[in-house]
Amino acid sequence: MGYEDYQCMDENGIREDGRKADEMRPVEIECGVVPVADGSAYIRWGKNEAIAAVYGPMEAHPRKIQRQDRAILDVRYNMAPFSTSDRIRPGFNRRSREISKVTRDALESVVNLELYPRSKIRVEIEIICAEAGTRCCGITAASVALADAGIPMSDMVVSVAAGKCNGIVLMDLNKPEDNYGEADLPMGILPMTDELVFLQMDGDLSMDEFQLAWDYNVKAAHDVHVIMVEALQKRYGGDV
Amino acid sequence: MAIPIIPSLLRDNLAALAEDDQRLDGRARFAGRDLEIEIDCLYNAEGSCRVRMGDTIVFAGVKFQIMTPYPDRPTQGGLMTSAEIRPVCGPGWEPGPPSEESIEMGRVVDRGIRESGCINTTELCILPGEKAWQVILDLFAISDDGNMFDAFALAAIAALRTATVPAERFDVGEDYKLPVAGTPIMCSYQKVGGRFVYDASKREELGGDERIHITLGDEGHVHSLQKGLRGVFTADEFTEIMDTAQSRCAELREIVHKLEESQ
Repeated sequence: MGYEDYQCMDENGIREDGRKADEMRPVEIECGVVPVADGSAYIRWGKNEAIAAVYGPMEAHPRKIQRQDRAILDVRYNMAPFSTSDRIRPGFNRRSREISKVTRDALESVVNLELYPRSKIRVEIEIICAEAGTRCCGITAASVALADAGIPMSDMVVSVAAGKCNGIVLMDLNKPEDNYGEADLPMGILPMTDELVFLQMDGDLSMDEFQLAWDYNVKAAHDVHVIMVEALQKRYGGDV
Repeated sequence: MAIPIIPSLLRDNLAALAEDDQRLDGRARFAGRDLEIEIDCLYNAEGSCRVRMGDTIVFAGVKFQIMTPYPDRPTQGGLMTSAEIRPVCGPGWEPGPPSEESIEMGRVVDRGIRESGCINTTELCILPGEKAWQVILDLFAISDDGNMFDAFALAAIAALRTATVPAERFDVGEDYKLPVAGTPIMCSYQKVGGRFVYDASKREELGGDERIHITLGDEGHVHSLQKGLRGVFTADEFTEIMDTAQSRCAELREIVHKLEESQ
């Protein structure tokens, strides 16, 4: 199928996977899936599947990476070799390094790192099945895993993305929409204040389209936040 | 892996338990932990399996690539196994190039499957001298609470036996099931408190000595053996675990076959 031929929507405004323009794929979250970790979360987001695990706080070594006034987050995003249709060669690449970094920057903005000087907290994100939008999956799962590990945070980061395909602004692009689409706008939102800790964008959006994509994202973030809180409540009970 | 600090208390504790023929978690010497197997669980893998043994959780995923056959074997495809033990699966595992431990795991699992002959590489040929399938078996751990060898080996054979060759996607005919003749199964034993136990947990591994991995085929034939870590064992000890391995492997093979039928 060529770039021009792809039609993301039928005449009734329904996308290939049955969603409307502003609708997300179904999201499921479960805590405590890595029994040996201090905190962990599994997320299924459409066909995306990711596992996040948190270890620590622990001593940061070598010593030169220590910060005297706060802890550091050691975040790794990785895709399993069998997570995509063409096998991925194991090991870090430029893409996974960048995603690890922006994820760290997002999470370091909410974790109360000053409580743990000279230590590090390891955050491991493993994508085991990928269908566009894995960085959002990873950040969201990592937030839940940090909460599951009992790490004090000012808020949980919810990461969602809207984009554009065939000139239509769409919430939460799936694989073909992402491949043939014109833009992607992933955001990391703090649902308590609607502040942002993560923002990327590539493609082409007019200011109106941009505003619409932004609004889609903010609304979706609140929906996903409910699912995140429910996952934690299911494990620990009580109100959040 | 970072060098673990082995408390001598743990070793003493394990030795004391061994005197009464007991284990840390109350299991009998040759009893395994609770086992959960799920096949066909990863959408993008052509064959997949998730195995949970106690708190050890691993995945195996099968992918296919088209390769040019080696000039001296123009009608043969290939099998490649790689084990990746990422720091997600435990506090002791660190990032970096593949560790000795993970290389050993990948190679021991690979040998058991390869030497059993269950994958006939000639059947992987598409066009002699030009095109053949390369089967890539990726072993991926999520949680390490000991005995990842057995978990990997079990996930590996179940994923292979349920894999589909994606011929349509590569434009070389119709999809078909990967032919796998046989179900080699691995059983691992670790010396803990002076005697061998089956399916050691992480704490038993930390406070234990040498381990032995046995892979047996359908007819009970031995296809691969490996002794790992520091330690000495006698022929009698080996005979004892070999006997129990025969029955345990048959049990596990039965479980895999039942699972396939229910697919």
